[in-house]
Amino acid sequence: MTRNIYLALCIVVAALPTARAAGPRTAAAPIELPPLVQPASGETHPGKVIWADLVTPDLKQAEQFYGALFGWTFEPVGGDTNSAIALNAGQPVAGIVQRAMKAGQQRQPAWLTFIAVRDVAAAQRSALANGGKLLAGPKDYAQRGRQAVFADPDGAVFAVLASSSGDPPDVLAEPGEWIWSSLLVKNTDHETGFYRALFGYDVFELPPEESSDNSHHVILASDDYARAGIHSLPADSVHRHPHWLNFIRVDDAAAVAVKAIALGGKVLVEPREDRHGGQLAVIADPSGAPVGVMEWAGPEEAPDAVTDQPDLPGAQKGAP
Amino acid sequence: MRTIKVSVVALLLAGLGACAVEGVGYDGDVGVGVGYVGDYYEPCCGGYGGWGRGYRVGPPRGGDRGPGRSAPSIPSHGRSGGGGHAGGGRGGGGGHR
Repeated sequence: MTRNIYLALCIVVAALPTARAAGPRTAAAPIELPPLVQPASGETHPGKVIWADLVTPDLKQAEQFYGALFGWTFEPVGGDTNSAIALNAGQPVAGIVQRAMKAGQQRQPAWLTFIAVRDVAAAQRSALANGGKLLAGPKDYAQRGRQAVFADPDGAVFAVLASSSGDPPDVLAEPGEWIWSSLLVKNTDHETGFYRALFGYDVFELPPEESSDNSHHVILASDDYARAGIHSLPADSVHRHPHWLNFIRVDDAAAVAVKAIALGGKVLVEPREDRHGGQLAVIADPSGAPVGVMEWAGPEEAPDAVTDQPDLPGAQKGAP
Repeated sequence: MRTIKVSVVALLLAGLGACAVEGVGYDGDVGVGVGYVGDYYEPCCGGYGGWGRGYRVGPPRGGDRGPGRSAPSIPSHGRSGGGGHAGGGRGGGGGHR
């Protein structure tokens, strides 16, 4: 009798690895992400921030917050009831992924920044050769393209995406769309070299500002457009993990900050004027994920805007 | 008989251990999951810090020019078209390196 019980136990244990492999992974239908651009653009802009995904423990809460704050609407993602695509004026603008956070886990919900590449494998080689770390993928999504997630040498997490429908065109973001991305790190020199090697950016050092705390600021550009900034973490946020911070264009940053609080969020950086002459603020959604909001006056509203002044004396054009 | 008992217990522990690993993620250090690529939580948390008056993270606005090649701005023309690099693109200060 006892021998039979042990025999049965052995059979169960032997079957465990098979059950594990065939269980959750095959039970879940593949996620069907929509194309990044519809209709396909045929454009590629390596180094451009082209998408962002929020990973949050509460999808419904996120939809209520971002819907009320930016006017986004939401559609479920095919094959995954825990994901949604956020739409701004009917155009896909972001993904939201709900994932449970383990009890006691010291993690923070965050927006994951996707940067355009032509070749994910080449990006992977460059990242690994320059001190980065592959965290997930590469993985193909039928309509979206191929993507992978990395940590840069400072530990900031980002993703690359080779979009199968092309990249979004270079136009001024509408209110409710991503307009800017900043990378806040500890070692700006090392980080600048890493991203320059990976995306072929042109790099521009910004002059020190008055009253600065010895912070270091760099602009990364491609196609003759600013794509992102690299900034040393403020001296009093040294315990903050290096991270990407993305900004949504808004008409009134102060009003958005007030509304964010009313919706259960927090203000992490109070509205303040930035170098472009508009206000920006950093808020956290109810789950704690930071997101920036930034005003940006159109060409007709900006007093210092240049409408098109090619070939000014002393100007240099083109990639080095 | 004792050998069989020990073997069964060892197998059970190994099997349970394998089950526990499932779902931890591609990289436990940052919490990347095994499902959707992009499924991760950031390390927590730290204060956001006070951004001093000179701490500026936004893009330069086209128009200002420093010595040499200056930092470009973001695109300034809307989807309705009109103007290539108009207003965006070149200008804004800073030095190319």
